[in-house]
Amino acid sequence: MLTKRSLLLTAAGLLVALTTSVAAQSDYPNRPVRLIIPFPPGGSNDVVGRVIAQHLGEALGKQVIVDNRSGAGGVVGTEVAAHAQPDGYTILGISLAHAVNPWLYKLPYDPIKAFAPVGIMGKGPVVLSVHPGLPVHSVKELLALAKQKPGDLQYASAGVGSFQHLSAELFKLTAGVDILHVPFKGGGPAMIDVMGGHTKVMFSSLVQTTPNIKSGKLRALGVGSTERSKILPDIPTIAEAGVPGYASENWWGIVAPAGTPAPIIAKLHEALTKAQASPEAQKYFDTEGATIVSMSSEEFGRFMVSEMNKWEQVVKKGGIKAE
Amino acid sequence: MELFNNLIFGFAVALSWQNLLYCMIGVSVGTLIGVLPGIGPLATIAMLLPITFNVAPVGALIMLAGIYYGAQYGGSTTAILVNLPGETSAVVTCIDGYQMARQGRAGPALAIAAIGSFFAGTVGTLLIAVAGPPLAELALKFGAPEYFSLMLMGLVAAAVLAQGDMIKSLAMVAMGLLLGIVGTDVNTGVQRFSFGITELSDGIGFIVVAVGVFAVGEIVANLGDPEERRVFTEKVNNLMPSWNDLKQSIMPIIRGTAIGSFFGVLPGTGPAIASFASYMVEKKVAKDPSRFGKGAIEGVAGPESANNADAQCKFIPMLTLGLPASGVMALMLGALTIQGIQPGPDVMTTRPELFWGLIASMWIGNALLVVLNLPMIGIWVKLLKVPYRLLFPAIMAFSAVGIYSVNTSSFEIYLTALFGVIGFIWIKLGCSPAPMLLGFVLGPMMEEHLRRAMLMSKGDPSVFVTRPISLGFMIVTALILVVMIAPAVRRRRVDIAG
Repeated sequence: MLTKRSLLLTAAGLLVALTTSVAAQSDYPNRPVRLIIPFPPGGSNDVVGRVIAQHLGEALGKQVIVDNRSGAGGVVGTEVAAHAQPDGYTILGISLAHAVNPWLYKLPYDPIKAFAPVGIMGKGPVVLSVHPGLPVHSVKELLALAKQKPGDLQYASAGVGSFQHLSAELFKLTAGVDILHVPFKGGGPAMIDVMGGHTKVMFSSLVQTTPNIKSGKLRALGVGSTERSKILPDIPTIAEAGVPGYASENWWGIVAPAGTPAPIIAKLHEALTKAQASPEAQKYFDTEGATIVSMSSEEFGRFMVSEMNKWEQVVKKGGIKAE
Repeated sequence: MELFNNLIFGFAVALSWQNLLYCMIGVSVGTLIGVLPGIGPLATIAMLLPITFNVAPVGALIMLAGIYYGAQYGGSTTAILVNLPGETSAVVTCIDGYQMARQGRAGPALAIAAIGSFFAGTVGTLLIAVAGPPLAELALKFGAPEYFSLMLMGLVAAAVLAQGDMIKSLAMVAMGLLLGIVGTDVNTGVQRFSFGITELSDGIGFIVVAVGVFAVGEIVANLGDPEERRVFTEKVNNLMPSWNDLKQSIMPIIRGTAIGSFFGVLPGTGPAIASFASYMVEKKVAKDPSRFGKGAIEGVAGPESANNADAQCKFIPMLTLGLPASGVMALMLGALTIQGIQPGPDVMTTRPELFWGLIASMWIGNALLVVLNLPMIGIWVKLLKVPYRLLFPAIMAFSAVGIYSVNTSSFEIYLTALFGVIGFIWIKLGCSPAPMLLGFVLGPMMEEHLRRAMLMSKGDPSVFVTRPISLGFMIVTALILVVMIAPAVRRRRVDIAG
């Protein structure tokens, strides 16, 4: 299994170096496609990528191999993809982090110009929850408590610059409250801390949080999507619960290196649409409380730009720094 | 009796021929990747994930779990034979396991590692079945102050790890703490000692340091001293442990299992800590601590049991709370989610076949591992007879492939080579690398928890003594210090008097 994979990867690399991008357009793909995931195995980026990769491969007629190139908040893997041959045999799985990193790190690539958008895979909202011992039952009560004692409340996040961190900062900016940030290494440890009642407030992806909300170990106050979540229909959106205009959803999409021929992008987009319709993808997104989203490649490109602008404001106004 | 019925139900699920086959595949693959350094269960499970789409959820989980704990078994094999830690948790096994092999006792070392792991696996499995949910509740009581105090206790106790020169050991601990600082600071996101190298922004990998100083350093040192190598292949004694070996190992196995279970339940402790803790305890309680580092069988039996108990108990937070304690657990949760199962507290009641089937399969898997591994010992030991001109390059090649595969990064191979040189210098200077590795593991975690505790208490250090669990660890730490310093003070008085 392992040697086969490394052989394939090496072979793919060699071929990329040898063939010109013109040669293999009409019969694309005639060898395995590499999907770079710039995060380690186990996270939502990785699992979403793998579910889609399997069916993307079936739709394309050639295997899609997931290659985890993690490091520096996704910058390492993204750089590899940015400098890969634009022949359709290297594609990149991105998420919200792609639109946030330009404001946190000095990037060795241009997040928009270095890539050609293929399509979006789906979106998953943030959920605001508190330890049940905290005497607040709604977003409004939480805001009242935070205003009563500014800087006294603390929230746990998955780390500096993470989706969870940014969602919380957006909340603070929109609602005009002061809640202290306590960063953890990953969403799991943060949630364990809040369930233990050490930190009281948490912004987390709905995915991981739902089972503990259902069992009563955490009290959900609101979801970050614009509409209520199908898996937690009783929980209001944060916007309707007292912070109008608030929306924070993580998203996952696929891009190719800039210069990848348009017919290949079209073929990849078509395969992505088929992969999204597969029962595994449906089941996975439903269970996660995420939604499958469809956009044309151009729409996705515009979406990326709008996300970058949105989070630039949050990073700058919230004074978030990573370097 | 409900537990009994549940277990019987679980075995009925796990013993179906498909599930037995998945279990078999899982533990075999696990053993194989355990032998290779770097290629760990995380990468393997990630790659096999798509295969599980078409497998029933129970079978998928049984196979993935088998890979995970099978790797803990396999990791010790190369640690003992060639000083190459196949998995993070096997680092401690290198210390005495490899020395046993050099004395021609590779067979007993491998056998004890397998037996200890089996015992620990059995206890760990039972623990999940009997006390999973309450143990998970206990784990939630641990916040940043508790973790910090616990780790401080570990670091102070590390002085026990010292072999010979105390100053050298302390210097090595400090070295480990410093190496652990490299990377991104959790609280502020600031880069420390990464010199603008992107590969260093996530810190130096544990396996890079461990393989560098243990395996590569040892090989370099051996090349300079061909005499020494000849000794240990020529006298391979009995393959199985003697009655005396077993008697010596029983208590360490039991203690190691207890220690491993404790650390396993706590999601905030990484691998290797349980093995280090067990090693330190064994050395402390031994009648003759000087045997440690020179092939003491207790130094293999304890840590090997501890790391397997730790691996089994890491399932507790995942199965009962739906919380991943590590990347591997996160992937298993992912595998369940793809199947449309929401992992969490209600899995036990809504999908009993999944919960109890997995538990029963873990015990079966552990038994399979012993059955697979014991007859293999003879073959493994024969491997030692391979001439060094073939064995050394092979070890180096395996290490390089393994390390490359972790992050597909050639930079890490260079880094391993650098640590090989550093390890060689340490061997020549008589500095044992074990305290350094402990500092390397504990340092970053201690810092993270300390700063988080201070953040949460708004800079008030009294949190460490006002919270009962934390206070308990602080008291024990103080006691360890007194016990360690007292003899030294007394000796000095005698010196002055005399």
